[in-house]
Amino acid sequence: MPRILDIGVFNAVRESGLAKLMPAIPRITVGMGTCGRGNGAEELYHALNEAIQHSGLDVMLTGVGCFGSCFQEPLVSVRLPGSPLLMLRHVQANDTGRILEGLSAQKMPSDLLYCKIEEWDHITAHVRYGQGYPDIPQWNAIPFFKGQKKIVLRNCGLINPSDIEEYIAVGGYQALYKVLIDGRPETVIEQIKASRLRGRGGAGFLTGNKWDFMAKAKADTKYVICNADEGDPGAYMNRNEIEGDPHSLIEGMIVGAYVMGSTEGIIYVRAEYPLAVSRLNKAIEQAREYGMLGQNILDRGFNFNLQLVQGAGAFVCGEETALIASLEGFAGRPHPRPPFPAQKGLWGKPTNINNVETWCNIAPIVSRGPAWFAETGSAKSPGTKVFSLVGKVQNTGLVEMPLGTPLKNFIYDIGEGAGNGRHVKAVQTGGPSGGCIPVDMLDIPVDYESLAQIGSIMGSGGMVVMDEDNCMVDVARYFIEFTHSESCGKCVPCRVGLNKALRILNAITSGNGDVDHMSLLDELGRMIRECSLCGLGQSAPNPVLTTLRHFRDEYEDHIVAHRCRAGVCQELALSPCENSCPLRMNIPRFLELYQEGRLEDAFDSVIMDNPLPASTGRVCQHPCDNRCRRQSFDEVVNMREVHRFLADSIYQSELFEPMLERLKARKLAPTGHKIAVAGSGPTGLTAAFYLVMLGHDVTIFEERSEAGGMLRFAIPEYRLPKAILRRELDLIEGVGVKMEFNVRVGFDLPLNDLASRFDAVFLSIGTWKESWLYLPGTELKGVYPALPFLESVAKREKTSMGKRVAVIGGGNAAIDSARTLLRQGAQVTILYRRERKDMPAIEEEIKAAEDEGVKLVYLAAPHRIVGDADGSVKAIEIVKTRLGEYDKSGRKRPIPTDEVQRYECDSVILAVGETFDQDFCRASGLALKEEGTMVVDRFTLETSRKNFYAGGDVITGASNVSNAMGCGKQAARKIDERLTGEERWESLFPDVEYSRQAPGEPSLSRRHEGHCLPAKARAQNEEEVVEGLSAQQALEECQRCLRCDLRAAVSAK
Amino acid sequence: MPNKTISVRIDGELVTANEGETILEAARANGKHIPTLCYLKGLSAVGACRVCVVELAGTDRLLPACTTPIQDGMSIKTSSAKLTLYRRMAVELLLVERNHICSSCVSNSHCELQAMTQSLGITHVRYAYNNPRLQVDMTHPRFVLDHNRCILCTRCVRTCAEVEGANVWEVASRGIHSRIVSDMMDKWGQAKSCTNCGKCVQACPTGALAEKGMSVMEMVKQTDNVTRLAEQRASH
Ligand code: SF4
Ligand code: SF4
Ligand code: FES
Repeated sequence: MPRILDIGVFNAVRESGLAKLMPAIPRITVGMGTCGRGNGAEELYHALNEAIQHSGLDVMLTGVGCFGSCFQEPLVSVRLPGSPLLMLRHVQANDTGRILEGLSAQKMPSDLLYCKIEEWDHITAHVRYGQGYPDIPQWNAIPFFKGQKKIVLRNCGLINPSDIEEYIAVGGYQALYKVLIDGRPETVIEQIKASRLRGRGGAGFLTGNKWDFMAKAKADTKYVICNADEGDPGAYMNRNEIEGDPHSLIEGMIVGAYVMGSTEGIIYVRAEYPLAVSRLNKAIEQAREYGMLGQNILDRGFNFNLQLVQGAGAFVCGEETALIASLEGFAGRPHPRPPFPAQKGLWGKPTNINNVETWCNIAPIVSRGPAWFAETGSAKSPGTKVFSLVGKVQNTGLVEMPLGTPLKNFIYDIGEGAGNGRHVKAVQTGGPSGGCIPVDMLDIPVDYESLAQIGSIMGSGGMVVMDEDNCMVDVARYFIEFTHSESCGKCVPCRVGLNKALRILNAITSGNGDVDHMSLLDELGRMIRECSLCGLGQSAPNPVLTTLRHFRDEYEDHIVAHRCRAGVCQELALSPCENSCPLRMNIPRFLELYQEGRLEDAFDSVIMDNPLPASTGRVCQHPCDNRCRRQSFDEVVNMREVHRFLADSIYQSELFEPMLERLKARKLAPTGHKIAVAGSGPTGLTAAFYLVMLGHDVTIFEERSEAGGMLRFAIPEYRLPKAILRRELDLIEGVGVKMEFNVRVGFDLPLNDLASRFDAVFLSIGTWKESWLYLPGTELKGVYPALPFLESVAKREKTSMGKRVAVIGGGNAAIDSARTLLRQGAQVTILYRRERKDMPAIEEEIKAAEDEGVKLVYLAAPHRIVGDADGSVKAIEIVKTRLGEYDKSGRKRPIPTDEVQRYECDSVILAVGETFDQDFCRASGLALKEEGTMVVDRFTLETSRKNFYAGGDVITGASNVSNAMGCGKQAARKIDERLTGEERWESLFPDVEYSRQAPGEPSLSRRHEGHCLPAKARAQNEEEVVEGLSAQQALEECQRCLRCDLRAAVSAK
Repeated sequence: MPNKTISVRIDGELVTANEGETILEAARANGKHIPTLCYLKGLSAVGACRVCVVELAGTDRLLPACTTPIQDGMSIKTSSAKLTLYRRMAVELLLVERNHICSSCVSNSHCELQAMTQSLGITHVRYAYNNPRLQVDMTHPRFVLDHNRCILCTRCVRTCAEVEGANVWEVASRGIHSRIVSDMMDKWGQAKSCTNCGKCVQACPTGALAEKGMSVMEMVKQTDNVTRLAEQRASH
């Protein structure tokens, strides 16, 4: 092909390109960016090539760049002449046969089909591929693409990046041609200014102003530079832009050079991007060949040379002055500005530096005009920005969105949330020196100003999503470690300040934090931000400052309680399971002890960690399952069933009495302190048990005539047989806890009396009051709150609920009520306003209810209860809901529709949440929070009243048994510390010897579940549904443990 | 080219300055004190230590006085609670970064870092000491380089390059691992380009560069000589 010297040749090249883009034969493309290659695109390409040759079919095969949806790689597009472009995803080499067969059948394998493109706006041209395939979704109907606007990525994944003719076919180099023919550089600069395009490299300066500045500088030589030294970990926007469409960048630079009066250009690209480098080299060579670079460009008398320089990828070279120093052969260290590069840059000459994405925006602005550009994005930040969306979202990849799009659209619409029932906790924008934005601020629009306002930055467009498994202190530590190692060392705040910040963060995450550390870090962060010489230091503290501001709790947890809830900071946890257990049970220890054949030692280990092991062994939500490392091997260890087994074995044998004697012998000497506990639910029982063991004189005051709280009066017999609970109560009373029944604290027994008779009072009265729902018809006969209903059943009182019952709610109380009603012979329907996966109840319980025949209706919000003539319930009407936007809980908000459904029923159970009687708190000087829970210190559990402590549901709101017990345990420890002034807690726990040897080969046995009675039969009676493990099964389960605790044991030495 | 005079405010006082001057030069010409460490009159300014930061009145922006050109109409504040805090912190960070043990230092009582510590009223530091293990280079026949006392101000680097023209010194490595090195080698005694002039020693604000044979408190630096030589060179 000759050099293009006139429009005729230009058009001829364009025609030739179009013939390749939309040939008269089938065209298959393979996404061959770095992301595609990492997923087997190369093998796929070769396989396709071979298969095509072999079959003798007349098919064109081409490699293209990345289309953005990296999580679907390798992507393949297939187009038959006159038809839409079909996108296939996750294509592997062994799919080639099916694809080629599909060509003749005109039908692609449905499991590979992703979407179709009928026409495409290349911005500089419009391509119509053809119409058809009504069943295949349009590309922009796919959630990941919905709302995206591809300006920078206009050609990526569609054209062959190694063929300049395809670029010209979609309108490439037309903008350059136009600019050269017009010959009026000022007009172009005015256009860029009018577009208000802002530098996409991070700081967001107005590109037009920068260009103007440079154009006015007088010098014999001027340089234009493209900064393609992308240094953020996890960010690869520039890489993919270059790999997918290198000419777009080159055209932008030639236009820029021309209008700013420069003849020399440099692309400074990371050496770690070999594919991008080779594509660029090829593109530069082609551009020269076709007359777009070199002497007398497009015969318009303009000369411009472009060369590629490979950088070593130092993060600080994102700073213009450091980049220039590096190009001159010096160490990449920034210089103070002024002088600005436009005055005195490379080799002392005026220099203009823009980032890849900024250059890629030039041709579109020149060809469509500033007004068109300003249609997209926000007033202050027009246009789009490419982001790399990574982390805890289901869909990851490169996303090009209008600036000003709310952050939550990225996370929930494009990314489709965290998935797997996880909740997004924060988003970090802008790369390693960006800030962390908490989930309740996700409404903010993503533009330069809004991000800066909340302490983050746009940066080059990194977006990392985090969920509850991310520790925010560790996140801050990680990023500071990065920026610290990238600091050039020239100025003190960044060199030494970041080093100090890192050391402090290391101390906190390893359990050596100090309460002063938070203020020290905050002050240090501000100083580094305000005093550093260059952008690296000025932005590096953002992760620390924002996490300190928005996740202070997590810092406090680490420092004060040596607790990392996310389980990331390994030095703060024994093992993942221990860390996730609200009682912090030493799980690997009891598993090991039982495995060694030491049943009694194993039980002693359990009981000292968890005084209700048989009850929790049945009803705990088992958060340990979510974290067990065995997950990555096969299935998690069934720890809950093992401690249930251990407890059942002791309780039902002659081993009980000796065990009780051992426990009593372990009690610390009497302290003479008297402590009152209000409420004998799991929280109160736990606190009382430990306080007695610590040598205090403890009395529980219970409003009902029996102990156990929710365990006794809310959780049904078929889940937790009363006889089992009785055994646990025997144990707790056996060690010396005194109980007084039928005494209601705050009423029969005023708090002032308690204060005068006891040294400390622990309030754990639980949340027994059903929240009332505002709903027409709740006054009718036959409407009952869930807890009182369950309580009547537990007390064996007569309840007459009728034949058909509707239960409103989705928590454990709703499921318990429904299954209990079923056992009374009723037909039960649960009405829940969201979807099943949003139900707060334990998954196994929901499943069991379904199996037993409870009918569950989702997306159903109660509308009204209908009564008959004598005021009894006759039916319930619900409004169907649909799921709208995500709310702060990370679930979609149910929005009522017009559809009303009616369910005939004889009674209605309301299970919509519980609270407690707050009047007595107010009356007795206990401060309450707005949401109706008691105010306590997070760590000591002290209330606003001296010597009064509180725990369990009254401080957390209705929660679950093990969380409540965790509170009781914490309270006992703190009350003891306060009363004795000593830290005696550790001395309670025996130092038992057990093997510290990691299992050489993990046992291959699969997880054992407790056996369930058949659904039909069990729904007829109250018999316990889940049988425990057999001794053999329990043993095998213990052998499955990987002993994650041993790492801790090793590193502690 | 005769410099235009401009009017600026320093701590509220209206003063005149020459266009092209830095904030520091303008302030000193008008008898205003701004503390400095890495700055040495006559050498190019680098803005490394950040103790010279001042406030641009009416904004919350801080500017290093030694490198920022003063502009017509600027209003500068040279002291405030925040500036004192940040200057102290910069010095505190220098004190913990390496091993500054004044009791055994040749420059004790004649050290700019020590003087700055005193004048800023620093009596203790709030960060843990890094206590790095650093070398003392005794290979040069006349001089010593003790990395423990270096604050990386690069006055030696600039003196050698700009006044002596020998370019012996450079900063190697990056971040907290940055070190002054001679001739790309570790040992000063083997640096071929060193002319043994000793100007770097005189420019060094601490005891990092010192003459051999000095005892504690004996090393008094002649920084004024470096400035005089630098200015003479510039006027040629
Ligand atoms: S493998 Fe064992 S120690 Fe590790 S998480 Fe699972 S139960 Fe705990
Ligand atoms: S040796 Fe002295 S002059 Fe050189 S950088 Fe270190 S402290 Fe500054
Ligand atoms: S004197 Fe200005 S930064 Fe050191």
